[in-house]
Amino acid sequence: MAKKTIRNIPKDRTAIPTQDADVRAHNFLEVSLGYRQEDAAVECERCLLCPKPVCIDACPVNINIPAFIECISKQDFRAAYDVLTESTLLPAICGRVCPQEDQCEGVCTVGESLEPVAIGRLERWVGDKAIEEGWFNKPFIEPNGFRIGIVGSGPAGMACAADMAKAGCDVTVFEALHEAGGVLRYGIPEFRLPNHVLDAELENLKKLGVKIQCNTLVGRLFTIEEMLTEHGFDSVFIGSGAGYPSFMGIGGESLNGVLSANELLTRCNLMGATEFPKYDTPLGLGNKVAVIGAGNTAMDALRVSLRAGAENVYCIYRRSRSESPARLEEIEHADEEGVQFEWLTAPIEILNDGNGNVRAMRCQRMELGEPDASGRRRPIPIEGSEYEFEVDTVVYAIGTNANPIIGQTSKIALNKWGYIETDENLATSINGVYAGGDIVTGAATVILAMGAGRKAARGMKAYLGIRDSESVYESDETNGKNKLFGIDRSERTFARVHVA
Amino acid sequence: MSGCLAANSVEQETMSDNRYLFKRGQTWWVKVAVPRSLRQELGFDLRQSLKTQDIDEARQQRDIVLKEFRAQIATAKKQRDQGRACKAVAGEGFEIIAREDFSDVTYLLEVKAPLLAKAAKPGQFVIVISHDHGERIPLTIADFNVVRGTITLVIQAVGKSTREMQQICQVGTMLHSIVGPMGIPSHLGAQKVVCVAGGLGVAPVYPQLRAFKQSGAYVIGVIGFRNADLVFWREKFEKYCDELIICTDDGSVGVKGRVTLGLEMAMDKHADIDRVVAVGPPIMMKACAEATRPRGLETIVSMNPIVVDGTGMCGGCRVTVGDGIKFACVDGPEFDAHQVDFDDLISRLGRFRKDENEAMSVWKKAVGAV
Repeated sequence: MAKKTIRNIPKDRTAIPTQDADVRAHNFLEVSLGYRQEDAAVECERCLLCPKPVCIDACPVNINIPAFIECISKQDFRAAYDVLTESTLLPAICGRVCPQEDQCEGVCTVGESLEPVAIGRLERWVGDKAIEEGWFNKPFIEPNGFRIGIVGSGPAGMACAADMAKAGCDVTVFEALHEAGGVLRYGIPEFRLPNHVLDAELENLKKLGVKIQCNTLVGRLFTIEEMLTEHGFDSVFIGSGAGYPSFMGIGGESLNGVLSANELLTRCNLMGATEFPKYDTPLGLGNKVAVIGAGNTAMDALRVSLRAGAENVYCIYRRSRSESPARLEEIEHADEEGVQFEWLTAPIEILNDGNGNVRAMRCQRMELGEPDASGRRRPIPIEGSEYEFEVDTVVYAIGTNANPIIGQTSKIALNKWGYIETDENLATSINGVYAGGDIVTGAATVILAMGAGRKAARGMKAYLGIRDSESVYESDETNGKNKLFGIDRSERTFARVHVA
Repeated sequence: MSGCLAANSVEQETMSDNRYLFKRGQTWWVKVAVPRSLRQELGFDLRQSLKTQDIDEARQQRDIVLKEFRAQIATAKKQRDQGRACKAVAGEGFEIIAREDFSDVTYLLEVKAPLLAKAAKPGQFVIVISHDHGERIPLTIADFNVVRGTITLVIQAVGKSTREMQQICQVGTMLHSIVGPMGIPSHLGAQKVVCVAGGLGVAPVYPQLRAFKQSGAYVIGVIGFRNADLVFWREKFEKYCDELIICTDDGSVGVKGRVTLGLEMAMDKHADIDRVVAVGPPIMMKACAEATRPRGLETIVSMNPIVVDGTGMCGGCRVTVGDGIKFACVDGPEFDAHQVDFDDLISRLGRFRKDENEAMSVWKKAVGAV
């Protein structure tokens, strides 16, 4: 075959089959149906397999992207899954929720002249294929007797738990809610990340020997310090997240009908409120819903509101579409489904109907001025542009702050915003305690949290004096035999297993 | 590619006679995986060097060592089964071990939750889910017993979920989940304190009142009920109160009148009261706040807003305190009564009234039909 060049590959990225906008706006089924095998086969041909791939460095967990794409084009899908599992625990999840346009796809060489390779969609396809086929890569685990406690079962905690379990530690994950998964469970809606995908990935984690204990509020049930002393954990990772929603402090925020996006999403995703009264938790959403903010959470809240039956759903954002922090795909999907965008608009007051409910919102138009510290153009209010806007529900999706519980109950050092302070290895001020994800960086993305979880795991291994798995296996190679299960293996650090 | 290597360990094991054997350097070792349920006691596997380089010898040795290993696993299993009763970990099911019905709407549940019992402090609450379609119900801890490893909840059956719990939560059944303790514990450190409670606040104020007494304070209890039939825990309160004033709406026991009357009586009698704690329906707490405001007495109230997660994540429990908004679940639940906007709290408690009524009527129909 002729060498692939920018001139002989398909120009446009392969479209992903999606549910029709009119249909999907009224159901909770997944929007993107995912590539079919033939789509994946076409799309993987667009990768030039660069000798110096920039995409790997742009990936927070450094997936060997050209390698897994090459495996797909060679029709060895199992090998593609092997490559992915060397770096990520959750390909089916990351393929769905990563902001690829800012990461791997953002630097893709093909993307310099054509549309970038659809790396995320390919990753998702492999991840889904693995779940469908029941593939699982069971690493060779040599127990080392160390006990690891992980606070929070979100993406950071899951990634850290997987790495520590693979290194041979006895890992227990503590979750405060009654179901595991953190933001993947309560935050990201079913139509973006189906629960069965999350369940499958959590099952994989349990297969590594990780124990997940729900209904455990670390900090209050026992403290971080007690984990190290009384409960005998050798090292602890805190991934408690930034779940503490912000409000703006404008008038009328305590009216009924004003809620945080977290509350809306938790009621729907975790508590089943859209099926009230079959489930006991009510939703309490009106017909005219305004969501303030335009990040990914805002898009989720908007689209959940549509599906829950709201007639008019508005997105209120003080900057314009190009400054919006949401994934491009999410904005496009929301747009197609009928979300009405009010760009360059800021709320200044929420108005009472006289009975303590929301009647309307007073808003103000904005224009864009000079770029601010974030590099985005600063919105400036236009004098005399105030107007009233009739709504009955106002949802705040303007970000979150640090969850205060760990800080309240432990002597751990926090910065002035309440986030946990760490060094470059993610070690905190308490010896043996590491932290990562939103509780360190502030609200960010799933993949960054996973990257932090893995980085902390490296720090914890160094702290405990565990050699990194790679080096363990290298030295074992000289024996010619692997250590567990009595099977020969080549260079792999895991056994391919089929799950019924 | 070695893709053809079907690395199913079981298959491999049955195919050769090198089962349980592996080589470390030149020496043969034997290793047996420990059943999942015993790994906390025994570790991931049991292993031992056979001190031989000869495979035939190793195979013979292996059978002897294997027998020992299996005996070891069997013993551990036995011990675990015996010790299981007292080793319940949080999350392994929460059994209701006692129940008492104070009236046709008020009932007490004592729930097995050893870690929770150990951690609980006065003023904190838990969140309970009774079944897998249930909602998360915040309930203030009414008592805790470290020795018995239990916490006590006193519940008023007012809505669908609490009515349903009244039916299904019998002794020996399990709660779907219980998590806590949540909220900042009560601040003690007062010399002479009045603990006022009415209705659903009577049980929750008890651990606080007891803690005040144990910390050496002079404790005056003021508890209110509608009538004598509804009075409960009188002896428990008498045990830890220096003075106890019971108020009933109809005067069938104690003072006739609301708890604010009892509070006024206490304040008139003692000039040196340095704190008032009020727990109960918002309207009662508001009245208490107004009663103490003219005297400038430090007054603490315990908020009971609508909560979803209870960990600060949803913000559903926002209360207006002073000029700012606080989250009752992580910033409270106790706040300075003179700063709290009670009208706001009362309004927000009515947020789901329509849904609550709907849930109730659907449930009544379903229960009636059975």
